[in-house]
Amino acid sequence: MSGVLEGIFWLVLTIGLYWLAREFQRRLNGHPAASPVLIAAAILIGLLLLGGRSYEAYRPAGSVLLWFLGPGTVALAVPLYLNFAQVRSALLPLTVALVLGSATAAGSAVMIAWALGATPEIVSTLAPKSVTTPIAMAVASEIGGIPALAAALVILTGGIGAVCGSAVFNVLGVRDPRARGFAMGTAAHGMGTARAFQVSFVAGTFSGVAMTLNAILTAIALPLIWLFFK
Amino acid sequence: MEKPSGLRRVSGLVVAFAVLVACNMAGGLLSSFLHLPVPGPVVGILVLLGVLAALGKVPLLLRETAEFMIGHLNLFYIPAGVGVMAYAALVRQDWLPIVAALFGSTFLALIVGSLVFQWVARRTGRHMPDGEGS
Repeated sequence: MSGVLEGIFWLVLTIGLYWLAREFQRRLNGHPAASPVLIAAAILIGLLLLGGRSYEAYRPAGSVLLWFLGPGTVALAVPLYLNFAQVRSALLPLTVALVLGSATAAGSAVMIAWALGATPEIVSTLAPKSVTTPIAMAVASEIGGIPALAAALVILTGGIGAVCGSAVFNVLGVRDPRARGFAMGTAAHGMGTARAFQVSFVAGTFSGVAMTLNAILTAIALPLIWLFFK
Repeated sequence: MEKPSGLRRVSGLVVAFAVLVACNMAGGLLSSFLHLPVPGPVVGILVLLGVLAALGKVPLLLRETAEFMIGHLNLFYIPAGVGVMAYAALVRQDWLPIVAALFGSTFLALIVGSLVFQWVARRTGRHMPDGEGS
C-alpha cells in the first residue's frame, strides 16, 4: 500500500515540477536553456538521492507517464496531415536531409564513442539516441545495447538539441523555418519538436515530420547496417 | 464551426483521446503480427494518417486533443531522464566517450540536417522566403 502511495507521490510531484519548470521557462521568454525536461528530471534525481531512494522507487510513476508517450507520438499524425501539401512540396530537400542527417546522427555517435574507447555495449546503446524513446529502446535492444540507458541518452540528446539548436542555426545563417525545424526533429526527436513548436507552427510541423521519418528510417536501417558491419 | 460545449465537449475529448490510444495499439499489433521492423507508435502514426485521409478532414476535438498531447510531449520524456540515475556507474565508467558522442553527433546532425535541407530547397527553387513563419 505504501508503495502505491509513494508512486502517486512521485507522479504528482513530476507533473508539478514539469508545470513549474514550464512556467520558469515562460518567465525567461521561452529561453531554450531552461529545458523543462532536464530541470524536472535533475530535481527529481536530487530528491530521490536525498531521500535515499533508488530508481526502483520512481519506476511505477515513471511507467504511467511513459505510457502516454505512445498516444502522444501518434498525435503527430494530425499536424502532418494538416500540412501535407506543404510537406509534399518540399519532398526532395526533405528526403536528402533525412538520409544524410539520420546517417550523421547515428554514424558520428558510433564513431566518436568507438574512437574514444567506449565498450561495445555503450556504442550500441548510443547508436539510436537521436530517435524518440520507444523506438530507440526497441532498436538498442535489437543491436545489443541497453534499452533503459538508451532512453536516458535519448533525453540528454533531446536536451542538447533543444537548448543549442537555435544558436547553431543562427551561426550557420540558416533562416528557413522548414530547414531549422527539420534538422531539429532529425537530431533531437520529440524534445526538439516541442521546442520547434514554441518557435513556429511551420518549424514544429517539419520537426514532427523529421522525427517520424527518422524513427522509421532508423528502426529499419540501423539493425540491418549493424548486421552488415559486425 | 460551432464549438461543442459542456458534456458533449468532454465526451468528444474522451473519444478523441481513445482514437489516439486505439491507433497506438493498432500500430503495436500490426507491428508484431506482421513482424515489421518498425515499432508500434510509428505504425500508429501511419494508421492515424490513413484514418484522417479516409475522413478527408480532422475533427475539431481530435485536433485539440492532438495539439494538447504534442504541447505536453515533454512531460512524458521526464521519466526516461530520471532513468539516468539507474545507470550512473556505467555512465561514469565511460563518461568521456558518452558526453563527446552526445554533443558531437547532435551538433553534427543539426548542422548537416539544416544545411542540406536549405541547400537542396534553394536549388530546387521552392525555398520559403527567409524567416517566414518564425
